[in-house]
Amino acid sequence: MNTEQETKARWGRSRFGGSQATLISVSLLAGAVLSIAAGLLFATLNFPGNFVLATLIMAAGLLPVLSVGCWALLLDRSTLRGATKNPEISVESQWYDKAAVGVFQDVLLVCGLGAAVLSFIEVQASIGLILAGVVGLAMADFGVRYWLIKRAEG
Amino acid sequence: MENNLPDHRKARGLSQQALADALGVSRQTIISLEKGRYDPSLPLAFKLSALFGCQIEDLFQPEAE
Repeated sequence: MNTEQETKARWGRSRFGGSQATLISVSLLAGAVLSIAAGLLFATLNFPGNFVLATLIMAAGLLPVLSVGCWALLLDRSTLRGATKNPEISVESQWYDKAAVGVFQDVLLVCGLGAAVLSFIEVQASIGLILAGVVGLAMADFGVRYWLIKRAEG
Repeated sequence: MENNLPDHRKARGLSQQALADALGVSRQTIISLEKGRYDPSLPLAFKLSALFGCQIEDLFQPEAE
């Protein structure tokens, strides 16, 4: 058990081999490259007048998300310290499923009611902002639902 | 669903964490199972029965109506 724990790392190792530091470095590097590319595209399409500033702001916002995304894609989960071997049969998996089902129903309800109301009232708003709002709402809803289920069944 | 998981676990001198590690699940899973708040999936029930060397119905019984 101890030997097994010692071979595991806090941030795990890459599925392609290498140390924990390598995985973190590659994730950060890949995240930075993708963020800058997305920033350049965003600035070109939207803010050609403030090209550098727009690129930097967008890249800075995307860097943490894309770096963590790259880490999750590259990670060999079996090398992650504290990770359960069979999460799919753990109780947390059931809590996740229950919360996700609830969120799906809530999103259907919110989008359905929203669409019905907006068919009567004309509102000018950015589709991107509306979608971001729905995603934010769904994430918050999931967090609350998961916490409530955990409290009730944990 | 009722179960006598704590008796089987204690009879083998296993802590909740040790049983969780043996099954590859979280300790919270064992806690919820023992409290009867979590009905295990078939794969988990089979793992438990194999670990304790008994039938699934020796571990879990439907609640009396």
